[in-house]
Amino acid sequence: MTSETDQQRRQVLKGAISASTLAMVAASGLLLPKQLLAHWPKDAFNAETVEDALLTLLGQAEVAEDSAVSFKVGTPPSYAVNGASVPIQILSNIANIERIAVLVEKNPFPLAMSLDITPAVRLPFKSMIKIREDSQVIAIIRANGKLYKTSRFVEVDIGGCG
Amino acid sequence: MGLASKDRLRAKIKGDDTTVRVLLSHPMHTGRAKNDADELIPAQFIQDIRCWRNEEEVLTIKCGTATAKNPYFSFQLVGGAIGDRIRIRWVDNVGAKGSVDTTVI
Repeated sequence: MTSETDQQRRQVLKGAISASTLAMVAASGLLLPKQLLAHWPKDAFNAETVEDALLTLLGQAEVAEDSAVSFKVGTPPSYAVNGASVPIQILSNIANIERIAVLVEKNPFPLAMSLDITPAVRLPFKSMIKIREDSQVIAIIRANGKLYKTSRFVEVDIGGCG
Repeated sequence: MGLASKDRLRAKIKGDDTTVRVLLSHPMHTGRAKNDADELIPAQFIQDIRCWRNEEEVLTIKCGTATAKNPYFSFQLVGGAIGDRIRIRWVDNVGAKGSVDTTVI
C-alpha cells in the first residue's frame, strides 16, 4: 500500500521535474541570442594566434589597413619599461564603430580586450594592457561591416605576463 | 565576494561630452605567475565590464588575461548632463563581482 503511494508520488514528481526542465530549456532557447551576446567569448580569448582570435571574435580575418585609426601604445610611444602595464590609446574618426579588439601578437593568448561600442561612446579609449615581450600590438575596429587594422611594434624591457 | 572594493569611477563634463575614467581594484592573475612558494597562482581576471548611463547600457568591455592589474579605462560619452548617473559593473572568471556608480560632475 505504502509502496504503491510512493510509486505514484515518484511518477508525479518525475512528471513535474521534466515539465519544469522543459520549460527552462524552452525559456533558455528563447533567450539564447541575448545570452550568447552577453557571454564571454571563451574561444576567442583562448585562441593562440591572432588569426584564430579574429576569426572567432569577428567571424572574419580579412582586414583593411587604415590610417584613420590612431593607435598609441606605450610611453613614450612604441616603448614600455614594464610590460605589466602598458598604456594604450585608440582614436578614430570612423563612424558607426561596433567593436574594437586589441591584440598582442606575442602574448600566449593574443586577444587582450574586446569592446562593444554603442553610438553613445566617443573615442579616444584608453586602457592598460600586459605585453610579454617585444611584439606587434594590433587594434582592430569593426565598423559598417568592415575591419580596420592598425598595429604598432612595441619594445618591452620587462615582460608582463609572468 | 571577498575582494576589497576600492573601485573608482569619475565622470566629468568636458566640452560637450562626458569623460569617464574607471579604475578597478583587481589582481588580474593570469594563471602563469608564481607566488613566493613557487606555486602557480590560479587565474583570476575580470572578464566582463559593463557601463550604464542612467538606464542605458553604453559600453561592454570584455577582457582577457592581458588586461593589466587594477584595470584602467577611460572613454567619452556623447553629450550628457551634470547629474547623470554612471554605473559600472564587473564580473571575473571565478564569479566575483563588483559595482560602482557615480554622478556626472
